[in-house]
This record gives sequence, structure tokens and C-alpha cells, in this order.
Amino acid sequence: MSARVETRPLRLSGSQPFTQQPGIFMMIGERTNVAGSPKFARLIKEGKFEEAVSVARQQVENGANVLDICMDEGMIDGVAAMTRYLQLLASEPEVAKVPFMVDSSKWEVIEAGLKCLQGKGIVNSISLKEGEEKFRERARVVAKYGAAVVVMAFDEQGQAASFAEKIRICERAYRILVDEVGFPAEDIIFDPNILTVATGMEEHNNYAVDFIDATRWIKANLPHAKVSGGVSNISFSFRGNNKVREAMHSAFLYHAIAAGLDMGIVNAGMLEVYEEIEPELKTLVEDVLLNRRADATERLVEFGETLKNLGTVATEKKAEEWRNGTVEERLTHALVKGIDAYIEMDAEEARVKLGRPLAVIEGPLMDGMSVVGDLFGAGKMFLPQVVKSARVMKKAVAHLTPYMEAEKLAMAAAGQAVKAQGKILLATVKGDVHDIGKNIVGVVLACNNYEVIDMGVMVSCEKILERAKAEKVDIIGLSGLITPSLDEMVHVAREMERQGFKLPLLVGGATTSRAHTAVKIAPHYSEPVVHVLDASRAVPVTTSLLSEDGKAEFVAQHRAEYEKLRAIHAAPKVKLISLAAARAQKPQFAWRGEDIAAPEFTGVRVLDDFPLATLREYIDWTPFFHAWQLRGVYPRILDDAAQGAEARQLFDEANAMLDRMIAEKWITARGVYALFPANSLGDDVALYSDESRTAEAARFHFLRQQADKPEPRLSLADFIAPRETGLADHIGAFAVTAGIGLKVLCDGFRAMHDDYSAIMAEALADRLAEAFAECLHKRVRDEWGYGRTEKLSPAELIHEQYRGIRPAAGYPACPDHTEKGTLWHLLDVEAKAGIQITESFAMWPGSSVSGLYFAHPEAKYFSLGKIDRDQVADYAARKGMTVEEVERWLGQNLGY
Amino acid sequence: MRQRHQHPLETILEERIAIIDGAMGTTIRTYGMKEADIRGERFRDAGKDLLNNGDLFSLTQPGMICDIHGRFLAAGADILETNTFGATSISQSEFFVEDPRERGGRKDPEFYQKILEDQSLNDLAWEINETSARQCRELADRVGEATGRQRFVAGSIGPLTVSLSNSPDAEDAGFRVVTFDQVKQAYAHQVRALIAGGSDLLLVETIFDSLNAKAALVAIREVFDEDGLTARGKELPVMISAAVGRGGETMISAQTIEALWIAVEHVRPLAVGLNCSLGPDLMYPFLETLSQRADVAVSCYPNAGLPNPLAATGFDLGPADMGRYLSEFARAGLVNIAGGCCGNTPEHIAAIARALDGMPPRKYGVAEVAE
Repeated sequence: MSARVETRPLRLSGSQPFTQQPGIFMMIGERTNVAGSPKFARLIKEGKFEEAVSVARQQVENGANVLDICMDEGMIDGVAAMTRYLQLLASEPEVAKVPFMVDSSKWEVIEAGLKCLQGKGIVNSISLKEGEEKFRERARVVAKYGAAVVVMAFDEQGQAASFAEKIRICERAYRILVDEVGFPAEDIIFDPNILTVATGMEEHNNYAVDFIDATRWIKANLPHAKVSGGVSNISFSFRGNNKVREAMHSAFLYHAIAAGLDMGIVNAGMLEVYEEIEPELKTLVEDVLLNRRADATERLVEFGETLKNLGTVATEKKAEEWRNGTVEERLTHALVKGIDAYIEMDAEEARVKLGRPLAVIEGPLMDGMSVVGDLFGAGKMFLPQVVKSARVMKKAVAHLTPYMEAEKLAMAAAGQAVKAQGKILLATVKGDVHDIGKNIVGVVLACNNYEVIDMGVMVSCEKILERAKAEKVDIIGLSGLITPSLDEMVHVAREMERQGFKLPLLVGGATTSRAHTAVKIAPHYSEPVVHVLDASRAVPVTTSLLSEDGKAEFVAQHRAEYEKLRAIHAAPKVKLISLAAARAQKPQFAWRGEDIAAPEFTGVRVLDDFPLATLREYIDWTPFFHAWQLRGVYPRILDDAAQGAEARQLFDEANAMLDRMIAEKWITARGVYALFPANSLGDDVALYSDESRTAEAARFHFLRQQADKPEPRLSLADFIAPRETGLADHIGAFAVTAGIGLKVLCDGFRAMHDDYSAIMAEALADRLAEAFAECLHKRVRDEWGYGRTEKLSPAELIHEQYRGIRPAAGYPACPDHTEKGTLWHLLDVEAKAGIQITESFAMWPGSSVSGLYFAHPEAKYFSLGKIDRDQVADYAARKGMTVEEVERWLGQNLGY
Repeated sequence: MRQRHQHPLETILEERIAIIDGAMGTTIRTYGMKEADIRGERFRDAGKDLLNNGDLFSLTQPGMICDIHGRFLAAGADILETNTFGATSISQSEFFVEDPRERGGRKDPEFYQKILEDQSLNDLAWEINETSARQCRELADRVGEATGRQRFVAGSIGPLTVSLSNSPDAEDAGFRVVTFDQVKQAYAHQVRALIAGGSDLLLVETIFDSLNAKAALVAIREVFDEDGLTARGKELPVMISAAVGRGGETMISAQTIEALWIAVEHVRPLAVGLNCSLGPDLMYPFLETLSQRADVAVSCYPNAGLPNPLAATGFDLGPADMGRYLSEFARAGLVNIAGGCCGNTPEHIAAIARALDGMPPRKYGVAEVAE
């Protein structure tokens, strides 16, 4: 050889690529070899394959670059064991990322192993032992599967022990592989036999030197070829003396690597650092390895005796810092990393801590799975890892199950209702044959203690629904990968509606989407129809849907979300004009003094304990029926052919409760309202402390329509006389509730398991609050003067056939909820009416209404619609908020 | 030893970016075919719905399928894919054999062994492959002659409906519904039929499970050896194309694209690439990695964006969008073969062909070894 070619590195792969780095020794884990680990051998013989997987995992954690897997043992069926073990490792993402070395002296075991590797592994080994023909044939098979190969320095005459034999056989093998078979030279790994030294036989004394010299020769003379060896052989005569063995391994590797050894089969967790071997031992060991003196062996044996009972120094390393976290953190870590070693212990600790087994599942475990879901969604975890997490979850759930069973027994004994384990039916819809993803969903669900009935692919709607009824399932999940499956899902939803199903429907698969589910599927079925993005999301969704405590909240949130999606989808993309242009096109009112009503008072008034009997007159019953899922208009609905009977009964029961509510004062209605001198300043309205209109008490900020349309662009500010008109205009504000005492009332009903009465009371309180707002509006109009000439019945009032409006913050004309804060402060609502606002500006108690009064004859309700960036920036400046804050509160109205 | 001879397509790839055609499945749907149309007389009494068994159209509605092939050629495709994505006994069985799970049973190697031994399924699979390849062959030759530009037929070998890397059994992560040898056998049958029909290339595509793909590649090698193609120097060039997820890994077996390339490099394919799954925008970083690592031609035929069931075509990107994206890839020197997968109609392919016209192909042939 003349010009030295740069050596091509060995490149391998599991699920991740592995490229050999110059000067870095590759460690091949030996513990997954039945000859390399008695524990592993025992586990395999006892058929405890899953436990044996943890041995592989440990090796990877301890830094093994490649795993040597060997099942060569008389009592083991090699083909079956190799196949099963590698298939289990494929499901262990942390292990599957590294390349595997398929190790056997039986060719059929090697072939079985090759059929399980998705990546590029290493075959260990082939040799010339059975002649050139067999050697070529096997090399071709290895090449066909695309693996690298270990070639033992062995030929028809036997194992090469001396330097000369080693290099002769290796060169011969190399030439056959490269010249005849066309095997890539960089994928050839020679094993020139590491043989045991210090046996007492003089002819063995030079074995280490022979190996090291052969390595040097191969690297210099056989381009691109690699060298490997089974390191622990070298110290076999010191079995039982780990201290000496470790020192021998380290020292041997030190010299062999210097000579060019690329890799070795080692116990990745048990390597002494060469520099840290104590000097005396190092000298003795090197005397033996390098064959430096005739009495080297005796000297080392003698010294070794003194060390014997000291045990192992370099113990197996463990990166276990995560064990110091809280039990919740540990559970999350275990799920995300797919570690099952401590999961039962941690689940138990969490059970004791949280009191109930279900609290562990629905709490920390579900939180952990949500993290898994987030990571998967972000492309930071892969499907096999999700499945592995689910399998860890399964172990935790299995640990908790007996406690849940005991709990159920106790509940049953106490006469309480017991909820059975959830049952979920999965099917790929008719016309679609794809189900690998659905199968994964099935596994993940089964791991979470659900009973999963998987009906397979191409399943017709009739069969799905028939089976769902027969098995009394709790949830149906539909899957599909191709576009036509979407229509079939719509069909199933329709059929479920027609047949009166009451279970949630889940939808998943590559072409499905949340928006499509909301827009096209969910409207056909009254029960929740939930899109499940991927397998990692299946469990949080089903758990919520089947949870006694969490279902209502989940469903409400889900419905609101889908409603939003439908609204977005329905909204045509509108063209917007600039804010300046919109302002130029505001409605042009002829501001005349005679149109401006003068109120009989200004300031704040409180209405405490407002008579419920009065409010009853103002109730709008139509929304009441909607709340009970009866669609129709009152009073016609009472005579409706289909729902009339039900509506009438509901109406009677509602009135019976109202009678008692009023007579026995179950709840209290309170309100506060005010009238202020006011003028508009652009799109704002300034409120003044008194008629001198000098001191500004507060300011309301409004938004203006920006849609490109022929009509004027409205803002609520338009209905208040501009400052420059000099007119003495006013604005009103109010907040009322009919919810004082409601919570206590409903808790009482629920304690008596009378959910029906609780829901009824809530629905009636809602109606009374609305009635209060209507009733108060009438009073304010009278006090403002212009209302006294109204001749309207309560029914006509309900239909708002009067002058003036009472828009509320958060509704279409002024969608910004934060304006409520100004109102609360101005009227001191919390103190005067007992209504609080939360951080998100929701009112508590819920049965409350608030808003502003506008008296202008042209005042009307409208919908703001989409607005553009220019107005958001302008509004943010007016309100003293950041643009981001405004965008967050006005998300639905952003037209960009 | 493998016979290396310069294939005419390789010569083209040195000069320009070759165009591969668009989607069959989503284009078929634009023809508004009904169940009765796919059945024809021959499958009139089939027990299950066949409408989404698109490969079958090559037998029952050859007029429509050849119209689509023809439109892709007219749009400028150099490489025509056969309509055989699911034409194996295993994938066809889903449409013709009762799913044992409907009655509480399961699919396992025993079930698939019966499928592999089912003469009628094998015959059907063979017929689809051979017929489709022949149809493509005729069209490609006719159009090639008429336009003075040689066209090539790529025998499409899909990913199957089963996975060799995944267990559907919650109790046993080591379980597999099918064995490597069974998958290999089904693929070998398909490969032989595609060759019999006159394919120029073999395209192992939409790889979401690398072990399935490996079985296909081993099957191809064995067919070449056993049928004497190797000995006669008649091996067909192979193209390999993976479907990767957002993290750049094969969707089911989670192998990164670089790890996959290392695992299939020994085949010395004509090209390796990415298709389907992600739209072009999300595919970019993974294509870049592949382009840096692979020393063979790189192909790229993405979906017309991610699936959007609310879009009229089911996908968001129009012809102009695809043209723009792929010309960006070409400008970055990442591709040698370009086209489209799901959602790409002949109009998309025409736009891509126009956009790439005259753009230099990616340089390759010298290994850029990692680090």
C-alpha cells in the first residue's frame, strides 16, 4: 500500500444514526449476551423476556454504543428467543435507538435476528471455519440485509492464536469479501481472537501481544477494515477477582486501542479508568499483558489474592438524580422517559398522598400523559415512545386496580352506585383499510385500564352501532386515513343521532381535523363529538369523558371550543377598511336638544332584595327551554306536536318551583344602577361627576366596525352626543343578580341527590337575572323620562320594542370583557350588589347581568365584526394596554 | 456481484431535475366514480366496498386510469408511477377477506399465512401489477416517442396495511401480526409482476415502517438473484422514499431519515427521498439532512400541504404553491427528482415542471460522510 487513504468510519443505525468517531472507542454492551451475564441468561431461560429488556436498557444508559445480543445456550430455542427479544426491544424506544449486534454461532439464529432490525446492525460472526463457499454465501446474506459483519480469525484449520495465523486468515477473508463478494470494506470488523492469558501455560503468555500486533497490522494493511474483540476473555483466569479483572481490561484496552482497536464487547458499566488503576497493580497487570517477564503471572496471582474480597470498585453507574423530585415529578419523568422500574413504588406513594387511587390516575398520571402528548405534538417524541409511556402507565394502573376494586366493593356494600371500567369500541370506518394508527390508540387505551373492543377495518356503520349496543360500550371511536372516510364518519354520527345514542363519539386519523369535526361531524349528533389528534391524546379525552367529576366541565369547554371553530369557519373572510376611513363613515345624526332626554336623577342607586314576584312577569321563557335542549319558541312550544308534552311538564314544574322560590325566599335579587352626565370623545365616552362636566369620573372605550360595506360603521360611542355639540347627554350602567343564595340552595339539592332540582333552580335563577335586567331597564327609561310614554306589555318589552339599548361588555357590540372592570369600579358593584368579577371578567354568582344604557332614539344593537391592526393599536393606546393584551381579549374579532 | 451500468435515467439526472408524477388516489376522486364503476361486472358481487381500492380501477376502469397517467405525462412527468400502491395479497385482503376482529378474533401470522396462500388474492395482485405496469409502459413509450423525450415507468411498491415494528396487542409489546418472511413473500410476488409488466424502475415508497421497507428491499434483491436478472445485468434501478413525521422520523417505526439512509445505503439505489406525509414546507429540514448525507440522487414528492378536510381538494396547496416550494428546494440544491404526492393533480405537476425547467440538479456522486 502506498498513499494512505482516509479510513471510512463504520456507520450503523437503530432508530438513530451512529457514526464511528475517529479516536473514540466503541463500546458494545455484553450483558444482553447469555454468556456475558448470568442474570440475563436466567431471565431468558425462565421466559422473563420483558424483565430482560431492562438489562438492555441499563447497558444503553451506561453508555453502550451497540448491544451484543446472544442467545446461544443449550436450553434456549435460539431462533424464537432472538426474534422475541429483538421485537420487544423494538418497542423500547430508548434501547431501539442504538444499533444491535446479532450474535450467534448458529446461522439460522443470525438470519432470524437480521429480520428484526430496521436499522443497520452487525452480524457476529462469520468465518472461514466451514470453507470459502459457506463464507461467501453468508457474507452475501449479510450484505443483502445491509449489516456490517464481524469476521473471526478462524479457518478450516481452526482458531488463529499466533500473530502470523491471525493476519494470514484476516487478509484471506478480506480479499474474498472485498474482491469477490463486493462487501463494503468499512463494514468488515475483524475479531482476531482475544485469548486468555495468565493461564499458567507458557504458550499463552504472548496472546495479548499477538492480538495487539495483529490489530496494528490489520489497520495498516487492510484499508477501512475495523477490529473488535471480546475483552473479558483476556482475564478469564482471574474469575471471581473483579478488581484484577477490571484492571486487566482497562490496561489491555489502553494498549489495544493505541494499536487501532475500534471497538470491544465490554460490560459498559464496569470499566476502570486506566489512569486510576493503582500503580503497583498496573505494573503487574501490564507485565502479564505485554509479556514483559517470565514470572509475571505468579506475581499477579499472588497480588490478586490480597485484593480478592474487596469487591468491585467501578460499580455500575446510575443516573438517578430524577429520583429526588416530588412523587408527581417522578411519575411524569417515568412516563415521559418510559421507565417502569419505580412506577409501582411511586404510584403507591401517590396513592397514599392523594387518598384515592382514582385521584392518582386522573391527577399526576394523566398530567404525565399530557406532557407526553405535548411532546409528541411538538415532534419531540415519537410514536413508539408514546406507546412505551402507555405501557408504563399500564403498570401504574395495574398497581392501583386492586385498590379501586376494594373501593368499589366498599361503595357497593354501602349501597352506592359503582361505575364499571370504561369500555371503548374502535373501528376503521367502511371503505377504509388503514388501521395501524388506530391499533396504537387501542394499545394506549388498553394500557389505561379501558376495555377496548377493536372491530378492525372496513367496518360498516350498522355493525359498529349494533356491537356498541350489544356490548353496552361507553365511547365509540372512529378512525380513517383517506378523505372519503370523512363522509362515512358524518354518516355514523347521523345514524347515532337517529338511533338515539347517548355516548360520546371520538374521531381520529390522518385526514381528520378538529375544524372538520366541529364543522362537519359534530352538528349531526347531540352528544359530544371529539376529535382526537393522536394516540397520545386519546387517554386524556376518554378519561375526561368518563370522569364523574370532570365530564361536565370538559364537555362544556369542548362545546364552546367547537362553537368557536364553527363561527370562524362560517365567517366569510371580510375585507376591512382603515380605521380612519371607518371613522369618516360613522352614522351622521342631527344632534338636537329635543332628542336628548334629561333624567330625573344622576348618581348611583341600589336595589336590595328586589321582589321576585315582579321579576317573574318579565321572564323570557324561550331561552329556558333551550337550556333544557328543547328547541322552539315560547309559548308555541307548549303546543308543539313533538315536544309539547315534555315542554308543558317542564313548564309546570318550573312554575311550581318558582312559586316556592318566591314564597319561601330561596334566593335574593340585588342590583345597582347609575346615570351619569356623559359625552363622546371620538370612540370613547367620558363620564362626568356632575353636570358641570369638568371632572371626568370614568371613561368607556368602544370599538368601531371596519368591514367594507355600504352602511355606516357603527360604534356604541356614536349614540352619545359628542362633546363638541355642547349637548348635556347621559349614559347609564347597571349590574343585577338573582343568584344570591343559589349555591347553598343547589348544594342542598345535590346533597339529597336531587340534581334535577339543582339544575332547575339554576336555570330559573338565570331567567330571573335576565328578567331583572329587563325590568330595571323599564324603570330606568321611566326615570330618564322617555319611557313614561311607552305603552308596552311585558311580552313586547321582552322583544325589546322600545327606545334605547342595554349592551353588555363581552357581547357583539362591545366584545371587550375588560370594560366590565370600569363599570365595577364606577358602581362599586361588589359592595353594593354582591357580584364579584373574576380575573377573566366572569361574574359570580353566575346568574348575573351587567351592561350600559344608551337612550338615543337611533341606538341599536349591532355586531362589531372583524377589526384590523390599526384599530387594535389605537384601542390599546386608548386603554393603556399592550397590543398583545388587546389581541388576547379580542381574539375572535381580529380580522388579520 | 451487482452489475453497474449507466441507466438512461441516470444520464438525465446528471443534466436536469427529473419530474415524477402526482397523486393517483386523490386524482381518481375528481372523476366522481361510484361503487358500481369500480366493481364493473367482474367484482359485482364483492362483499365489501371497493371504491377506495384505487388500484382495482386499473382493471375495471382502465380508460380513466390511463387518462390520468396520460395527463401526468402531458404535464411533463418523466417518471410515471404504476397504480399499484396496495397491490399485494396482504393489502388486497383487507378489501376481500372478512376482518376476524369483527367477530372478536385477531389478525396474526396464521391469518396472513392463509392470505399468502390464497390463490385468488395472489392472482389478483399479480394481475393489477402486471396490467398497470403494461398500461404505463405503453403510454410512456407512446408519449416518449411523440415528444422525443424518454419516459420511465416506476413500479410503485407501497408500505402495506400492516407493520413489522409495532404490536397491536396491549398485553404483549413483542407481538406482530405478520412475519418478515410473509411480508417479503408478498413483496417478491409484486416485484415479479411489476417487472413482468415492463417497469423500468422499482419504487419502494411512503415508508412509514423501515422494517417493512427492508423486507421489500430484501425481496427485490432475491428476485434479482433468483430470476437471473443480476446474472444477465438486467437489474432494475431502485428508488427509496420515506414518509416522515414532524420530527423527521418514519411515522410508525420512528427511524430518523439519516438512520434509514444508513440502513438502506447498501442497496445502492438510484435515488432516495421523501414523499407524502408533511407538506413541502415542513419537509425542508429533513430533505436537507438527507441531501447532505446521501451520495445518490435525492427525490422529493410531498403532499400538497398537510391534509385539510375542509379544503376543496382535501389539501391546502395549489399548483403555483407547489411550483414555488419545489423551485426553492431546487435553488438550495437539494433535489434531483421532484413531483407530488397526495393532493397533487396533473395541474400541480405541470406547475412543478414549469417551475423547475432549466434549474440545475443537485450535484451528487461524492459521498459527504458525516462529520
